[in-house]
Amino acid sequence: MAYLTQPDYVKYICSCGQLKPITSLYFCRHCLKIRCGFCICHEVDSHYCANCLENMPSSEARLKKNRCSSCFDCPSCFHTLSTRATTQQRQVLQDPAAGGDTKVESKQPKKMYYLSCFNCRWTSRDVGIPDQPVASGGWPERTNPHAARVNQLIDYYKAIAQQEKQEKIERERKKFNIRGKYITLTDKTGLTGAMARNIAGLPSSESSSSAIANFVPSVATAEVEELPEDTFTKEVNLNQITSMPQRLASPDWQPVCVSRLHPLAKLLSVKRSQRCRACDHNLTKPEYNPGSIKFKIELLAYYHVPEVKIISHEPVKSGEKTALFLKLTNPTGHEMQLRLLQPEDIPPPEDKEEPKSIDKSLERSLVLEKDTTAFKAIERQPNISATSRVTSPGVTLTLAQRDDAAEYDDDAQHDTNDIILWRKSNKLGVRLEVDTSEDAVGGSPARALFALQYSYRNTVPPAPSAAHTRDHTLYTTVLLDLGTVSSN
Amino acid sequence: MALYEGIALIQEKQAVVLDLGTDYTKFGFTGEAAPRCIVRSEFWSAAERRLRRVHDYATPDELYDNLVHMLHLLYFRHVLVNPKERKVVVVESLLTPTLFRETLAKVLFTHYEVSGVIWADSPRLCALTLGTPAALVINIGAKEAEVAAVVHSCVVLQALVSQPLGAHAVHAELARLLDEDNGTTLHLPDDVIEDIKVKTCFVSPLERATAWASGSPPRAARSVRYSCGARGSITVSGRARELAAEPLFVRDGELASLPDAVLQSLARCPRDARRALAGNVLLAGGGGPARPARALAAELARAARAALRRAPARAGVPLPRAARARQRAGLAGRGGTGR
Repeated sequence: MAYLTQPDYVKYICSCGQLKPITSLYFCRHCLKIRCGFCICHEVDSHYCANCLENMPSSEARLKKNRCSSCFDCPSCFHTLSTRATTQQRQVLQDPAAGGDTKVESKQPKKMYYLSCFNCRWTSRDVGIPDQPVASGGWPERTNPHAARVNQLIDYYKAIAQQEKQEKIERERKKFNIRGKYITLTDKTGLTGAMARNIAGLPSSESSSSAIANFVPSVATAEVEELPEDTFTKEVNLNQITSMPQRLASPDWQPVCVSRLHPLAKLLSVKRSQRCRACDHNLTKPEYNPGSIKFKIELLAYYHVPEVKIISHEPVKSGEKTALFLKLTNPTGHEMQLRLLQPEDIPPPEDKEEPKSIDKSLERSLVLEKDTTAFKAIERQPNISATSRVTSPGVTLTLAQRDDAAEYDDDAQHDTNDIILWRKSNKLGVRLEVDTSEDAVGGSPARALFALQYSYRNTVPPAPSAAHTRDHTLYTTVLLDLGTVSSN
Repeated sequence: MALYEGIALIQEKQAVVLDLGTDYTKFGFTGEAAPRCIVRSEFWSAAERRLRRVHDYATPDELYDNLVHMLHLLYFRHVLVNPKERKVVVVESLLTPTLFRETLAKVLFTHYEVSGVIWADSPRLCALTLGTPAALVINIGAKEAEVAAVVHSCVVLQALVSQPLGAHAVHAELARLLDEDNGTTLHLPDDVIEDIKVKTCFVSPLERATAWASGSPPRAARSVRYSCGARGSITVSGRARELAAEPLFVRDGELASLPDAVLQSLARCPRDARRALAGNVLLAGGGGPARPARALAAELARAARAALRRAPARAGVPLPRAARARQRAGLAGRGGTGR
């Protein structure tokens, strides 16, 4: 059971040990394991602008510094700016010789555009940015005031690095080649190093040293700028000074006063694809179109793992058994056998370490099986401190496959018994008991733990080499939040 | 042509630069003049339904989770690159706790599978932006002010002085002064205090600071009405505006003020480097209020004179001739010159 805004009452334990609601879990069909956002690999799939829903190839996005060229954010309140149009009477050219023609033209109003924020009423006119004749683009861009200096520094350090590298190579050569046994090309042809460098099109050694020679280090000044005279007498207008978020929104300029604010080009967003860390298969892959919310690949746990919902429960009392009603849903297109177990009953995952033979290891090295040691590092022991247990009734429940048409049948099958409350297509209401331990203190959170064993039919077409079984028995552990332990 | 990335065939991809500060995180690419983003070092924790700060942790696992979430935010919301294919330059203080450093390494290598990481200390990167052979870097951070001497791109380790005189010290003093002004305990949130600091506070000249301390206070600057939304408005007196940054400069018995830290650092440097270092003081970091360089220069002169008077043995310390200020939040994050 998961809600958008409420706390999550039913949490599953991911294979990496994290507790997550079913809506934020994935299910890898190749490893047959539950994965979550913590233990999978996220990748940037495509860049798009969230405002104009325009796709941008990643190379272009890199050139534009991940900014949209036509959408802007308000530098004052970070709301999206809108383009407003005004009509402007064109300047009448007072040319007596031209006669009537200019007059006709001057009457034609010209459309001019400026940016305006509908939230805080900031406009690009406030800071003296001239109106533009075109609706999108063409806004003046500012460059970083320190860009030239930083580039100079980079050139300087690159030159130094290159020089040091060259010196090192020279040294090496001298060390190993004291008395040249072999005639080198340069010896034979009388080609000097500088000439060879020139022919090869490499920058000559002089040019690198010129970057070093021309470099001027920053000079310290003894005069430090004084406080302005009127600091102690002038009234401070807080509206004229930018706040910290406003400054940091444009890291290149960090304007101190409001008049220096400049529209912020909108930062692009990315669509992400998810990949299983253990087997490198895609778990989700979004569609390329930014307007589409669909996925090409969508292996969510919600479509593969039986969903548990709490219908109702008695208040949990320490040392007592209380009733609990659960709803179990089979989301898959195949019939599912379910058993409720205790978490300890889950058999440990058998080590699939085949007897090592040369063939096998060779095959393995050819297949380039993924090194799973990194995945082991991410795994951790789940934090389950449950004082209650859901008693396992010891029967196998069968859940029919999901059938969208069955929604319209109302004849619920009534094979009810002690455990089964009702049954409706792929859903099942069960009556269970929660056994709370004696030492549960009143007022402490009541959390009940149980394990689910369920059959799963794998529909992935089998790899040609692997022995393939279609039906699997899988396990998952579920933690229910049943409020607090009642104090009496 | 540029779209073909012809350069990328020869050159490897731009690395990313990560500076995970206590308050603000700077993240960007190497070779660029400014970080791509400067954001608060906090992320939304869905489980706890509140913003969590990266540096609030009790256990190593908690820190690991914090870093994973923060880096996810930085990579996929701000810089929009695949973490796998980029090398990382981590800008950090030399005094970063080992646990933090190791956990960050673990997160970067095992969780994000980055192809390479280099740890670079911030004083050295700050000094690189000057191109001078020797520089004394004063970095006023969120928690601490760190004074480090950098000679030919090497940090003189024995001359590293760190004092808890960062933005938090200024904020605490400002909160105290504001409580005095308004006669109540205001319990203003940290971001409001910071906003008041950047909008109203300044560092007053040495004469005025001594006059305030002497008991015959000078005529205070204009006070400001600062409105904090639903709570109504509060008064920020001229005194609070002037004295908020004083904790950085006030000398106590332990000589733990910022000018003293600078002098101590200088005194621990090799003798032949001291003159060059004292002539090249670089002020970095975004912790202090606006333009503290002027005050620092005057205070340094005062402290140096006092030190000379008090400890003749230290006569080798030359008077600081100049202080070059370049105060920009996240200057360290500009360590784009590494390549």
